[in-house]
Amino acid sequence: MSSLDIRNLEIHVEGKPIVKDFTLNVPKGEVHALMGPNGSGKSTLAKALAGHEDYQIVAGEASLNGQNILKMEVDEIARAGLFMAFQYPSEIPGVSIANFIRAALTARLADNEELDAARYYRRLYEKMDLLKIDRKFTARSVNEGFSGGEKKRCEILQMAMLQPHFAIMDETDSGLDIDALKIVSHGVNTMRGPDLGILLITHYQRLLDYIVPDKVHVMWDGRIVRSGGKELALELEEKGYDWVKEEVAVV
Amino acid sequence: MSNASTLERVSAKAAKSITSSEAFQNHLESLENAPKWLIDLKTEQWEQFSSLPMPTPKSEAWRFARTGNLSLDKYQLSSDLTPSEIEDAQKNSHLIESYSGKMVFANDQLVEKKEATASLSQAGLIWAPLAKAINEHGSLLRKFLLTFTPDLGSEKFQALHGALFSNGSFLYVPVGMEVTLPFVAYHEICGHGAAVFPHTLIIADAGAKVHLVDIFQSTGANTKNFACGMASIFAGAGAQVSYQAIQEWNLETLSFHLNSVSAERDADVQTVTVNLGSHQTRSEQHTCLSGPGSNVDNFSLSVPTGNQEVDQRTLQTHKAPSCRSNMLYKNALMDDSRTIFSGLIKVEESAQQTDAYQTNRNLLLNGSAEANSLPGLEILANDVKCSHGATTGELDKEQLYYLLARGITRKKAEELLVFGFFEEVFSHLENDELREHLNSWIGKKFHVDPPTGNPVTNS
Amino acid sequence: MPATIEQETTNHSIDFDREVGNFKYKEDYSYDAGTGLNEDTVRYISGVKDEDEWILNFRLKALKVFESKPTPTHWASKDLESIDYSKIRYYLSKGQQPSRSWDEVPDDVKETFERLGIPEQERKFLAGVEAQFDSEAAYSNMKARLAEEGVIFVGSTEGLKEHPEIFRKFFGKVIPTGDNKFSALNSAVFSGGSFIYVPPGVHVKQPLQAYFRINAENFGQFERTLIIADEGAEVTYMEGCTAPKFETTTLHSAVVELVALKGARIQYITVQNWSENVFNLVTKRGMAMEDATIKWIDCNIGSRLTMKYPGVILKGRRARGEVLSIALANNGQHQDTGAKMIHAADDTTSNIIAKSISVGQGRSTYRGLVQIPKHLKNCKNNTECDALLINTNSRTDTYPAINVRGNRNSVQHEASVSKVSTEQIFYMQQRGLSEAQAMSLAVNGFVNDLIREFPMEYSVELKRLIDLQMEGSVG
Repeated sequence: MSSLDIRNLEIHVEGKPIVKDFTLNVPKGEVHALMGPNGSGKSTLAKALAGHEDYQIVAGEASLNGQNILKMEVDEIARAGLFMAFQYPSEIPGVSIANFIRAALTARLADNEELDAARYYRRLYEKMDLLKIDRKFTARSVNEGFSGGEKKRCEILQMAMLQPHFAIMDETDSGLDIDALKIVSHGVNTMRGPDLGILLITHYQRLLDYIVPDKVHVMWDGRIVRSGGKELALELEEKGYDWVKEEVAVV
Repeated sequence: MSNASTLERVSAKAAKSITSSEAFQNHLESLENAPKWLIDLKTEQWEQFSSLPMPTPKSEAWRFARTGNLSLDKYQLSSDLTPSEIEDAQKNSHLIESYSGKMVFANDQLVEKKEATASLSQAGLIWAPLAKAINEHGSLLRKFLLTFTPDLGSEKFQALHGALFSNGSFLYVPVGMEVTLPFVAYHEICGHGAAVFPHTLIIADAGAKVHLVDIFQSTGANTKNFACGMASIFAGAGAQVSYQAIQEWNLETLSFHLNSVSAERDADVQTVTVNLGSHQTRSEQHTCLSGPGSNVDNFSLSVPTGNQEVDQRTLQTHKAPSCRSNMLYKNALMDDSRTIFSGLIKVEESAQQTDAYQTNRNLLLNGSAEANSLPGLEILANDVKCSHGATTGELDKEQLYYLLARGITRKKAEELLVFGFFEEVFSHLENDELREHLNSWIGKKFHVDPPTGNPVTNS
Repeated sequence: MPATIEQETTNHSIDFDREVGNFKYKEDYSYDAGTGLNEDTVRYISGVKDEDEWILNFRLKALKVFESKPTPTHWASKDLESIDYSKIRYYLSKGQQPSRSWDEVPDDVKETFERLGIPEQERKFLAGVEAQFDSEAAYSNMKARLAEEGVIFVGSTEGLKEHPEIFRKFFGKVIPTGDNKFSALNSAVFSGGSFIYVPPGVHVKQPLQAYFRINAENFGQFERTLIIADEGAEVTYMEGCTAPKFETTTLHSAVVELVALKGARIQYITVQNWSENVFNLVTKRGMAMEDATIKWIDCNIGSRLTMKYPGVILKGRRARGEVLSIALANNGQHQDTGAKMIHAADDTTSNIIAKSISVGQGRSTYRGLVQIPKHLKNCKNNTECDALLINTNSRTDTYPAINVRGNRNSVQHEASVSKVSTEQIFYMQQRGLSEAQAMSLAVNGFVNDLIREFPMEYSVELKRLIDLQMEGSVG
């Protein structure tokens, strides 16, 4: 039951089907990579699972640890333990990172509980150090004026602080130079363990050199067309996505 | 303060409406040892007030504003204060506890004063109630008093202020003096029907640095009042002036705040205005870049609820070359409230190398709230960088989604975004005590249940 | 009849443009309402046109409104006060019926339009042409195929006579007589202009064009245009205009009403190149019903004072309104232009892009209105105004008004003022361009994204006009 379980999911955007008959199970403790060319529906899948209203789920099921998430509000899904690391994180002017993460943690407490401020800052600084984020960033507005790399590190910081059961990481490697990629990967690898399942969405194999997946799935035209071990990613890198397209066409 | 005592007092003295010439005559007589120039000035202003017409819905300078409720007949200049009124005013006046000097006015009468330190006074700084300064520093005052008025449509009310003002704070900072802690003036209004005309005059001489905060409040929540204030800032060459005005009159008050800034060569002025109170407030700001290299920022935040109207008219006049001015007016509107922002950047022919910006951002937190923008430019020089922007909309959908996706509840997420919207103005307050008070006042405003039943938005 | 040409020779340092239109023919009119305006003038015009009683009454009522309305100098230019309505001639015609063939057009009139290139353009790329000479159309023709599809394209005089059942239903409904002083004036003395009706589902692929020519001094041209695109129909209309240079002022005050019914599309393109003694005070507005689109492309290069704010009333759900505007103000000119977007239904979208260039002592002004009332939701407006100042005494103003209520509406207005950077000019000069050429290139670059929206033939002409305006502007 401890898994992110997606069955026969069909997602529409502005009335058009983008994800079709998509089925995938990510057990807790595993890292799965979802690869595919641009437009294959990877990001649509991610945003829809996180409850974005522009994406209509018209068929299928999705559950987190046995809990149906399709009927839940965006914030309920998040509190149920699903974390989404966005490809393009929003800028939130006027809301500092410290206040923002504190509000997110507070939302996970019961009504009579309060966050211990000293412990909170201790943990926050520890995670920031891990991700090599300057401590001054706590006072800065969320993502506002951040470089691409800073935004991605800020996503991982939030993930580290909120300790989800599952994380969907949408193109976390895009826009990162090699140094930033190493830092981010190190952060993610530190979090890896039996209590966390990760779905890693990426276009390139490069990220998988640093975060080695247990399984690799290839998405094409809204569905998974191949699954395999980490060697599948290398095969893809070598032969390109056209190879998958041809294979699909043959089938 | 008990209402009964107020009523008795008003009827006993049968105070005249501020629009009657008896009221003006009584006012002149009440001024002790007033110099002739002041009497002449006031008489001239009274004549202007009497001859100017009231604004009508057709007046261009009042476009989109309500003009139906501007009658002043029901207001009087208040006479003596009761001891309880004085006590209430003093009790209200503890928002900022680290200051260089403090004055508390109740109905334009000084009820408390904390002097500036002796070392500042001895070095030439003047921190005095205007009524006293007129006699003691007449020749200095006369050069500045009412010499630069905003003239943005409220000329009639401006003239009434000129005729009837009696007090306020006068701050003169001599050449090169830098004062770190702020001077704070509290202006309290007490009793039904009372009219006040608080005046603030800041003169910062060359190279001086100073900070003043004006706080406008009512001692009672339900008294119907009229406030017509004026704050004039004269920043000499290279002077740095920071001015903040917190308008928190009660919701029955009709208020005018007619402010001006004049910046000489290389002067640097920053103003922050926060509008929370009044059922209808007209806020005029005329900023004049009169010396080359000067720089002025005007920030404003208004948070109207219920059926409050905030009517803002601004003018940035660039007279000298190589100046920069920046205006940011933000409004967060709840319930059936209304705002008007009408701003103009005027760059004169001689003002080459001008940088001038003007931004109005309106956040509609309810479908019945109404935001009006009239952002204007008049550019007569060609080597300028000039822009204005006006946006009106609800909370950003994607930002809200991002917060929700972190597990923050919708209510809390909306609150975070709304306070985030204020931050761009609040970050310039430079005073943590004041920020905390403002946050709690605004928090209170938001948790009053609006008619739609949802505390933050009706979505 | 033999035509005598009176051409003025000019020795202006800036020799652009309007020289193309700066010639005139001797005046020879059979119908002349004389100078000045009173009830008799109105009755005379109506009489010449042999109009129905209701039209005469409409005109007389409008005259009263015109007389009662003050000149709007409390917000507009004081220059309006220099119009002397008693010195203007309100109706001049040769008594001609609009010809269907250029051969039947009187020689001097035909030559006028030939010099302006109208018959040639018609052959090349137009679906129909109407050519108005002072008060009345001299030529009006449309491709036969369109007539077979039920498209109507005639002068307004003819439209009122032949198609009253359609005309009357929409006439004066988008722009009421009392909208402003000049719409009232037009309603009293209107003559000429186009009447177009496109039946449901018909797409008129090539543009229809009207050309307005003022030939007589002290003349007032008051054309009235009404375009109706029925459900799902599409049409593009283009108008051009010129006048010779006179010593005295000339008045052009048109009213243009567009009606785009459900799903229809109307695109209205203006290239205004009046000579610099013309007061051009025009009211233009369209009404867009459900899923309809109205797009104004408005280009103002000529005239002494232009006041024109094309508008769209977005009356049906998902209706879309657009104004793309280019204004160029040179010495002695004031281009006071802008746009109005009145949202009146849910899910409506409007877009305004206005670019102005002020050269020499020219002055350009943007005035706008965006209105979204309380009961509406999901409406969007985006406005961008950019002004370019060329010389030290050029002037620009921006006066938008934005009024927003309702749910999930969003409005954005941005305006900027800049000059051509000296770095940019230096760079181009280093590549061997003269300063004026460099300036022209920079200015063309500034308006290029808007010019691309014009049909090819017009964008070439427009670029040429801008080049001519820029000559002599630097140095």
